[in-house]
Amino acid sequence: MAIKTAEQYRSRTKPTWCKDCGDYKVLDALTAAMAKLEIEPHDTVLTAGVGCASRLPFYTNTYGFHTVHGRALPAAIGIKVANKERTVISVGGDGDGFSIGGNHFIHASRKNPNITYIILDNEIYGLTKGQNSPTSHEDLLTKINPYEVVEDRINPVLMALSFNTSYIARGFCEDQEQLIDMIVRGIRHPGFSFIHVLSPCTQYNPRVTYDSLRRRIKQLPEDHDTSDRILGMKYAMTQEPLYMGIFYKNIRSTLHDKLEHLRGMSLEQIGNPAEYTIKDVMKQFE
Amino acid sequence: MVELVTRIVGSPGDGVISSGDILTLAAARSGRYVCTYRSFPTEIRGVDQSLYQLRISSKKILTSADEVDVLIAYNERFLRDNITDVKRGGVVIFDSSENENKFDEYQNVTKYFIPIKTLAEEFATERSKNMVALGVLLGLTPNFEINEQIKSDIKKKYEDKGEEIIEQNIQAFEKAYSWVRQNLEKEVFLEKLAIEPSGKKLIMSGCEAMAMGALVAGCKFYAGYPITPATEIMEFLAKEMPRLKGNIIQCEDEIAAITAAIGASFAGVKAMTATSGPGLSLMSEAIGLASMAELPIVIIDVQRGGPSTGLPTKTEQSDLNLAIYGTHGDTPKIVLAPINVEDSFYQTIKAFNYAEKYQVPVIILSDVSLGERRECIDVFELENIEVNERLKPDKINEGEPFSRYTKTYTGISPMTAPGQKGGAYIATGLEHTEDSAPSSKPNIHAAMTEKRFKKLETAQTEFISARKYGDEDAKFGIISWGSTSGPVLEAIDLANKQGYKIQALYPRIIYPFPTKWINDFLYNKEILLIVERNYCGQFANTLVYRCTCMNKDIQIHNLMKYNGEPFTTNEIFNKIDQIIKGQYLKFMTHQ
Repeated sequence: MAIKTAEQYRSRTKPTWCKDCGDYKVLDALTAAMAKLEIEPHDTVLTAGVGCASRLPFYTNTYGFHTVHGRALPAAIGIKVANKERTVISVGGDGDGFSIGGNHFIHASRKNPNITYIILDNEIYGLTKGQNSPTSHEDLLTKINPYEVVEDRINPVLMALSFNTSYIARGFCEDQEQLIDMIVRGIRHPGFSFIHVLSPCTQYNPRVTYDSLRRRIKQLPEDHDTSDRILGMKYAMTQEPLYMGIFYKNIRSTLHDKLEHLRGMSLEQIGNPAEYTIKDVMKQFE
Repeated sequence: MVELVTRIVGSPGDGVISSGDILTLAAARSGRYVCTYRSFPTEIRGVDQSLYQLRISSKKILTSADEVDVLIAYNERFLRDNITDVKRGGVVIFDSSENENKFDEYQNVTKYFIPIKTLAEEFATERSKNMVALGVLLGLTPNFEINEQIKSDIKKKYEDKGEEIIEQNIQAFEKAYSWVRQNLEKEVFLEKLAIEPSGKKLIMSGCEAMAMGALVAGCKFYAGYPITPATEIMEFLAKEMPRLKGNIIQCEDEIAAITAAIGASFAGVKAMTATSGPGLSLMSEAIGLASMAELPIVIIDVQRGGPSTGLPTKTEQSDLNLAIYGTHGDTPKIVLAPINVEDSFYQTIKAFNYAEKYQVPVIILSDVSLGERRECIDVFELENIEVNERLKPDKINEGEPFSRYTKTYTGISPMTAPGQKGGAYIATGLEHTEDSAPSSKPNIHAAMTEKRFKKLETAQTEFISARKYGDEDAKFGIISWGSTSGPVLEAIDLANKQGYKIQALYPRIIYPFPTKWINDFLYNKEILLIVERNYCGQFANTLVYRCTCMNKDIQIHNLMKYNGEPFTTNEIFNKIDQIIKGQYLKFMTHQ
């Protein structure tokens, strides 16, 4: 079998991202991860909401569903349940994922589908030209908050830990090797994998640059115990410095496992018939 | 006697609905047609009445009838509220346990004063009083003998409550039955329950019929969120879908539900969700997404009283505007409205066929009174039902990006699904080129909009004309939709007895607008009456006026009902009568 390269997962469409956008590097890392795993593009589905980050599926040659703002995860769940053999990856920005899409994150964690969710966090709404997002720093003034920001920012990794998301990692788009590795592990992880990626918007968020992020981040210790959720929360509590690495990993039944199990139960309840068709269903109405 | 209509009224918690269901089963098993009307109050134990009406007939019936032969009332208020609907010579069974009133002011009916509650306490417990009422009713029916079947129906009804409750209920029923046989004179009219059986029957509710229709059509994915009155659909599928190799998931809200279903459709599987008005409002954006990305999807709306939270347990037909216009932009979709339980089954299958064939969202408009009522219908001939699949490409050129939205003569482009080599594409809500690249170029938007709507044009050439009922050469026409059509058709039968000639048109396809059928229908008409259950005349405004604006001579009347109740046959007949006699007021609306 031919060895795959990241290039082989790219479509002919030229990205409309700004020249220095961090999202290019995330795209590189994702395609490199897919190449490393040797998954076939036609066996892969990318879902996204709406925003700069959500344009990513157009730049790969996999199947994709560019939904509406905030709804990448429900679509991904529908796809994975209906077509379970496919590798399903959802992407989106901090606004798409934590503002309008925030609720779906909770319930995706609860269902634990075998899906990888990558958030490209630039702490701003880029496509709509620079508004505060849930991860924006509290002193970031923008045209819609010209005097003061009235909300506290959220803590995505801490949130994920509290929802018991079964794989939680954070990476920096500049640290390609580490990012590729955590994406590969995330895709391999049997369950819902959440990867929080720092990816600066050089156009609309002056507060977050490659340099500022480099100064802000710190690596989790080499021997960090990824099975200890409370320990993970300890490191996640602070966002200055921002810890990087795999915070937590927990293997438990996936949505697929549970659906198959309940299927078995549903058949057992009627005595495990050799065949069960519509005609049999109809009998209860006679 | 060809039919018998029974109504049971009590407080919530009196077991009205359970006893009604058991009676319906008994009637249906004996091979008769049954049509029911069930009315639940919103609160679990509140002040409103719980009502169950069933009409048993040897002929196919369309409504649960306006007037009743037998009324069972658990207290004075319920008796007084309902006695006016009892026919002359009808029967009233009143729970006299705590009330000695003999209601002498009501003459033309036969009254039985039976201490139902007291007997219940004596035979079992107070909670079993609905079983006592059932035993009394069947005890009064001379040619009805207790058999094992009815006891097993009681058992099945209460299986969740445990052995003890089941025993108490069966005991209460049997003892009440014996008590009546021993203590009361037999009433002659009930003896005439010699209604002819007419072949094997099924009993199901509108919601169950739609769920069955989905399964027959090959639906393999359901995502839903609980909402009165659509939850029954989800409950049924939760039980059966896994057994038929499908999957069903509960979602966190309606937006997640519809999006997951659309995702499943994208992944290659027939998918559906069901909701009511408030849920459909939430789904608007996603419906637009399905339309733009050309993904098949079926959405059931079991309409209830609106607007907003409205009246969750009362019936209305006020989501028509939402179904047709509810999403932003020019959004091709199809809207269907079944007229009764049997139709609910067939229209759901059609909904899936249209969705797959034309790659559009299809909305089915049912309503509380249709979704919840049980009807006894003929067995379905499953072998004769046609099920369609989405168009797939014959051949894929693996070297090139797949042109998912290729313009074709019909507007329908072949679809691939993930897993298919060479067929990868990005489904998107953005305007896009034929090979699904986002584009805002003027010629692209114009061309693709036309392509998407071409699919509806193609659909219209394949739709079979709307159903009509009555005299072809009648000058008086009625147009109605959904469950309103039942009482309309029965009103026409009543009108025919008066010597009036009326014809009704009742399209099941509401959108794309059946303009041609309506224009053809109105060609020889001088009077048009539009009947619907909403205040704004949504159907009239949306559809009929656009057809009648050309026909300036036609006299148009509206009959709207917006109090949460279904139409009665008499209400419609009275309106017809008034119009014909010239006794109408312009712009009159009906309370």
